[in-house]
Amino acid sequence: MDTPMTPEQSLRLIESMISQAKQSFSRMSFYFLTWGVLLTLAMLATQVWSGVDPEVRHGAPWGVAGAVGGALSAWYGARQSRKEEVLNPMDRIINWLWASFVIALLLVLFTTLLAGGDPGIPITLMTGIPTFLTGQIMRFRPLVLGGVLFWVAGVAMQLVPEADVRTALYCAAMVLGYIVPGILLMRKENGVRPA
Amino acid sequence: MAFAPLDPVLHNQLRLAIVSLLVSVEQADFNHLLERTGATRGNLSVQISKLKEAGYIQVTKGLRDNYPNTVCRLTPEGLHAFEGYVKAIKDYLHH
Repeated sequence: MDTPMTPEQSLRLIESMISQAKQSFSRMSFYFLTWGVLLTLAMLATQVWSGVDPEVRHGAPWGVAGAVGGALSAWYGARQSRKEEVLNPMDRIINWLWASFVIALLLVLFTTLLAGGDPGIPITLMTGIPTFLTGQIMRFRPLVLGGVLFWVAGVAMQLVPEADVRTALYCAAMVLGYIVPGILLMRKENGVRPA
Repeated sequence: MAFAPLDPVLHNQLRLAIVSLLVSVEQADFNHLLERTGATRGNLSVQISKLKEAGYIQVTKGLRDNYPNTVCRLTPEGLHAFEGYVKAIKDYLHH
């Protein structure tokens, strides 16, 4: 790399390196896959449990999913921060985006439950925001579409009263909005081109 | 018209590649720079030292998982020099 450079070559080198640096994001697929699977299972467990005992509100699966997901995310985040080769300012923005989402989610959850309402729809709609923005920041279209899917699912859940259909819509949004983009992102992070 | 002379510290492919990478990130370690630039360990090490001597980058040596780890980050002087270099290159190209 010690050969003389023309101004054109210098500019091309700068552009190429900056472009590479902008694509240096932390590995995020773990979070989408973990939360996607846990929340889908929580929704299915709630639905099954409600069929067995329809008189009681069944929040336990959500509590378990939240605790397990939180613990796994904290463990993975700490492990990754020790291994990370590069610190990209966009990573910091994505982290704050998700942190603010979790705070808003907990506030919506508690205030809605205190008022005796169902937080499922507002949380589904809210989930679209960080998913969509993360996809835009990373320029990763499956996550952008995943965010849009959460919005579509949230609106559809509002329009249908049947619990079974709402469950199906939520699970579909989780699978297509979190799990599928998570798998595609993992393939990208591992350097595997989609088939 | 007289052109501003190009900064000799930056007008080198590997040093320019290192600084260009560091412009867009907060910090990057030696292995990341090695992978992105495709340089040899020895050459990268030499060019990092030259950039450090010029005050363009800050180098922090530490341990990660019990292995030596070198982390580089651009200094304000480095950013200023890079901006000046880009401006000078554009002047050359536009005239």
